[in-house]
Amino acid sequence: MSGILSKKSALVLGAGGLGSPALMVLASSGVGRIAVVDGSALETSDLNRQPLFTEADLGERRGAAAARRLTRLFPAVNVEVVDGCFDEASAAGLARSADVLVDGADDAPTKFLASDAALLAGRPLVHGGVLRYTAHLLTVIPGVTGCLRCLFETPPPPGSVPGVAEAGVLGPLAGLAGALMGAEAVRLLLGERGAYAGRLLVYEARRARSRAVPVRIRDGCPACRAQREAVASAGAAAPGPGTPTAAGG
Amino acid sequence: MALSEAEAARYARQLTLPGFVPATQEFLRSARVHVVGAGEVAGPALLYLAASGVGTLLLDDALDLASEDAASWLYGAGQVGEPRIYAAIAAVRGATSLSKPRPYATGSDPSAALVCASSPGTAREAAERARVAGLPHVVALADGESGEVVTVPRGAPCYQCASRLASGAPARPGAVAAALGALAALELVQILAGVVDLPPGAGRRVDVAGGEPQTHRTTRVAGCACGRPRLP
Repeated sequence: MSGILSKKSALVLGAGGLGSPALMVLASSGVGRIAVVDGSALETSDLNRQPLFTEADLGERRGAAAARRLTRLFPAVNVEVVDGCFDEASAAGLARSADVLVDGADDAPTKFLASDAALLAGRPLVHGGVLRYTAHLLTVIPGVTGCLRCLFETPPPPGSVPGVAEAGVLGPLAGLAGALMGAEAVRLLLGERGAYAGRLLVYEARRARSRAVPVRIRDGCPACRAQREAVASAGAAAPGPGTPTAAGG
Repeated sequence: MALSEAEAARYARQLTLPGFVPATQEFLRSARVHVVGAGEVAGPALLYLAASGVGTLLLDDALDLASEDAASWLYGAGQVGEPRIYAAIAAVRGATSLSKPRPYATGSDPSAALVCASSPGTAREAAERARVAGLPHVVALADGESGEVVTVPRGAPCYQCASRLASGAPARPGAVAAALGALAALELVQILAGVVDLPPGAGRRVDVAGGEPQTHRTTRVAGCACGRPRLP
């Protein structure tokens, strides 16, 4: 297993509550190259849910601190840091640079951008979110499953949905969601079926209840249409080489 | 004692949660959790318990670090052969000064237990000790590609009644073990904080297989000693 994974790469957006455990799982599973995109510094309120970091890291850039910790724990892993934002200018190139994208970003516009960029790059995306006592997970396989825009169409208007700072989050729930995201990325890199491919898994922690919502390609989804056009113009009939499908392989 | 400014800042993202007030965080700070095991399931669990503000972690582990422990999130590659318990204590101390890890000893007087043993036999023994002592406890056990987390609040069906696993086969390195550890910490923090949604005397088991958590209410096996009233 580790032989296959050592030749694979993952791009992780955010080294926060979701990205931090996902990075740990990817590195401990033996993924050969991991790129982490994070443009923020570590704050004291991060420490209730971000096990990559210690008090000694406070004030440091999170990407650099994450790379240092991962390299110390897992010396065989090549960790690259992008100290900045995943934005319109960088999204396409970054998405094409890895075999799988793991979206641990904490804002809706970045999450939609990640979904769009993964579709156009022909890369699978493991999406996650966590707020209060609820986490959700979704895997997007370009051309096979629905994407974030198939589900929600557009990001919510700014300020209409509370963030972690206002609504709170329980640290170990972020840990569970991030660990499941990392494990999902490992499954995809191994060519296995994605557990959340085409289905949104919602987990409510207080009742420990999970439910799944199917996410199919929506007629009229502009992101999925752009993906089909990109594939057609490239002369390919299927997702790019090395891209697993919902059924694995 | 009220939360300090540093504690209020550290736990700010929890203190805005429904059901979480400063007194909840103070209760977590006063908790003393007996943690059995320091391997790849226990590692993430320890970090999340400490990060959540559990005040005292009483570690209980007799093994030396092996190469497979690298997946535990706690240990560097050069630590193989060191006593695992002391390496784990050092790792938790390095992460936060607001939680006190120390070796478990007779008379440690825990208020709850988290069992992350590496075999079903060890898990059963540790869980039974916690039940007899009247401690709420959570048991996490990996079973190769899957695993289970059993939550046993006071008076709930015991681990022996509730468990449906488990071979204790080693987890796939880094994958399911981390999810089990985080889930076990989540369950215990919710019990300690009083935010878990369970009727009095009820317990639950979360099976994690193929990335999917599936929850089952646990039931008592007829005649099990866990159904008898505890002696005062």
